[in-house]
Amino acid sequence: MTRFLLTRALLLVLGLAVASVLIFLALRLLPGDVAQVIAGTDATPERLAAIRDSLGLERPLPVQYGEWIGGLLRGDLGNSVVTGTPVAGEIWEKAQVTLPLALLSMLIGLAIAGPLGVAAALRRGRPAGFALSGGAQALAAVPVIWAGMLLVIVFSLWLGWLPAQGFPRAGWSDPGAALRSLLLPALTIGIVEGAAMLRFVRSATLGVMGQDFVRTAAAAGRTRTGALLSHGLPSVALSIVSVLGIQVAGLLVGTVLVENLFTLPGIGRMLVADVGNRDLTKVQSEILVLTAIVLIIGTLVDVVHRLLDPRQREVAR
Amino acid sequence: MRTPRSRLLFAAGLATVLALSGCAAPSTSDNTGTNASVNVGLILEPTDLNIRKTSGVALDQVLLDNVYEGLVRREADGSVVDALAKSHEISADGLTYTFTLNDGVTFHSGAELTANDVVWSLNQVVTDASIKDHATLASIRTVSSPDPKTVVIDLSSPDSNLLWNLGGRAGQILEEKATNDMATSANGTGPFELKAGAWKQGDSLKLERNDNYYGTKAKVREVVFSYIPDPTAAINATLTGDLDVQTGVDASLSPQLERDKDITLTKGRTTDKYTLVFNPKVPALADPKVREALRLGIDHKAIIDSIGGAGVPQGGPIPALDPGYQDLTGLVPFDPEKAKALLAEAGQSDLTLTLTVANHYPTVISNVLTSQFKNIGVTLKVNRVEFPTWLNDVYTNHDFDLSLVNHAESRDFANWTDPTYYFGYNNPKVQELYKESVAATDPKVADAKLAEAAKIVAQDNPADWLFTGTALTAVRKGVTGFPTDSTTSRLYLGNLAVSE
Repeated sequence: MTRFLLTRALLLVLGLAVASVLIFLALRLLPGDVAQVIAGTDATPERLAAIRDSLGLERPLPVQYGEWIGGLLRGDLGNSVVTGTPVAGEIWEKAQVTLPLALLSMLIGLAIAGPLGVAAALRRGRPAGFALSGGAQALAAVPVIWAGMLLVIVFSLWLGWLPAQGFPRAGWSDPGAALRSLLLPALTIGIVEGAAMLRFVRSATLGVMGQDFVRTAAAAGRTRTGALLSHGLPSVALSIVSVLGIQVAGLLVGTVLVENLFTLPGIGRMLVADVGNRDLTKVQSEILVLTAIVLIIGTLVDVVHRLLDPRQREVAR
Repeated sequence: MRTPRSRLLFAAGLATVLALSGCAAPSTSDNTGTNASVNVGLILEPTDLNIRKTSGVALDQVLLDNVYEGLVRREADGSVVDALAKSHEISADGLTYTFTLNDGVTFHSGAELTANDVVWSLNQVVTDASIKDHATLASIRTVSSPDPKTVVIDLSSPDSNLLWNLGGRAGQILEEKATNDMATSANGTGPFELKAGAWKQGDSLKLERNDNYYGTKAKVREVVFSYIPDPTAAINATLTGDLDVQTGVDASLSPQLERDKDITLTKGRTTDKYTLVFNPKVPALADPKVREALRLGIDHKAIIDSIGGAGVPQGGPIPALDPGYQDLTGLVPFDPEKAKALLAEAGQSDLTLTLTVANHYPTVISNVLTSQFKNIGVTLKVNRVEFPTWLNDVYTNHDFDLSLVNHAESRDFANWTDPTYYFGYNNPKVQELYKESVAATDPKVADAKLAEAAKIVAQDNPADWLFTGTALTAVRKGVTGFPTDSTTSRLYLGNLAVSE
């Protein structure tokens, strides 16, 4: 087990190192730079040069990369080129919108996918089963933007129950207001993600239903549903954990879209604005943090899998 | 066992959702008079708050006139009035400007404004070429203060634009001894102040009334600017009451607002010039016949209709709000047959051109252009790019065939007199007339020279001016004094009030 954990950790570090190089280089391929954005449409070449010089944009790329990585190793994500404020602080501020949003979306997704996925499997071949999997297929194909606009029309404009956009300026100091403003965006992601996950849950359940231990339990006098629920669900949960690991990246992309649609001051909207400003030192740290989150969750899923699944534990010894 | 529990969980979840939905929105009943807080929706957020360094009208919109002040202030209709100066005098030869300062002016830091602050602020811009709008004060020879209440500006040559420029970025007065970080905070003298933490980057910016203001104090307690780039989200915010004022309403979505009887839509004039530039370095476009043909092929009415009518035709480089304007729309009227004939004469029977356009403008404009050009036998390929890419490819490297952006700044005719500008337009006669206009001491002469120069530019067809933008603003019942004109570049909120 120790060896397994060490290998995983090493792979994680290696992955991050490769990602940092790719992110750094890919961003340098973007046309236009922050000096042009600052100087705008009345800039003279002299003024552009002066701004570039003051921002240190003319230094060689390896030097810039070295500075960034050096800072990262000291736990410093760097400062925004435009405002000079520390990137870490800004990410932390915006994460207070994005992380609750992602978590809420995932919970909503699970609340939809779990029960309905199992139900779809149990009613396979019957009209209810068809309706469930067909409905999920259709919902999963709905663009997130579209789902969001429909929800806004119904819950904000018609019913007036929830805010259509924005996040309270006071943040979480009024938890009710903050949560209300996240509800529609989370539903938007959660419904679409949940529909996608429902299909995984359904096929995982179907797989488990054919397993010996469920059949044995059924033979011992349990109903098929009872046998599945008491003995098969841990196994289904395992597959859901794996799928969740994969879905995290999709979830983050979903939050970028939804934050722009609902004008939420989260990491996604900040990222779009910073790319637009060509604030590259900020963008590269932001993307690396997001990459790290995805990689770390992937590693955790691996480890959890190892711990939950007795069969894999055997192999590890 | 499991089923009832999960049902319970589901019920609990549903109850939470319903309970949250039921929470009443914060009461707005006391939100009137001098205690009012007004929510204003804007589209573009400034990248940072440094007025000396960072360009863009998004910064002018919120900070100029409200937080920072100059000796004089530009009004929305294009005139210039005294601000920090109580009065000013111009010598007969147009070379000496004498300003008398208002009494009791303090910065938001608490320090008193002195004539020395004014001299220092203006000299900073005059001497440092890396400061934004440095060039607009090029005619200044010296700035001095004979006594603590008087500032004298001496010019090396008369400058009919000086007062206007002093009302812009270059003329804003800062505190010499201030130590605040100008990128994230602001210390001015205006009727509103930006307190610590008032700018939540990526979200909103709050201005609070300056209770120590020397002039007429602001009529509302605070103004919160929310940045909502998505046009639909902005409309929703207005419909649900999150916004009291929405600027830059998308005209094609505005019918949704017209149904709400508590909301008034105002139409204002702007200097937003949607400029389609023909790059003269491209061989086909160096031919005057081709440029004229392209302009003849454009049906401006159809383009304005396509964006919901939020524009007026602009036949030349100067929009109606700026001095030197005259109606030039008749110079090159829509005439596709004549366009085809001219293209044939020029030997361009199968012309293909690429349009580089920043992607934050409505797609429909380039779509309509593509089909109009197709009618005269010109194939238009559209390259929609991010604004920084436009700045790099078009603005800096002049690498384009046709370019479309909105030049929002007012009185920016000088760009047509600078051959190194990305327009690449070089006509010595125009440059001469512009110089004479700037040097004229009689405003009438200045305007006439400018009008003459603008007409020559329009006749040379270096570009087509698709339209001047119309500013649509949605204002909630009870809110008064919000500017209607020029809202894309200036938003003076000293008159903003909430009644009832």
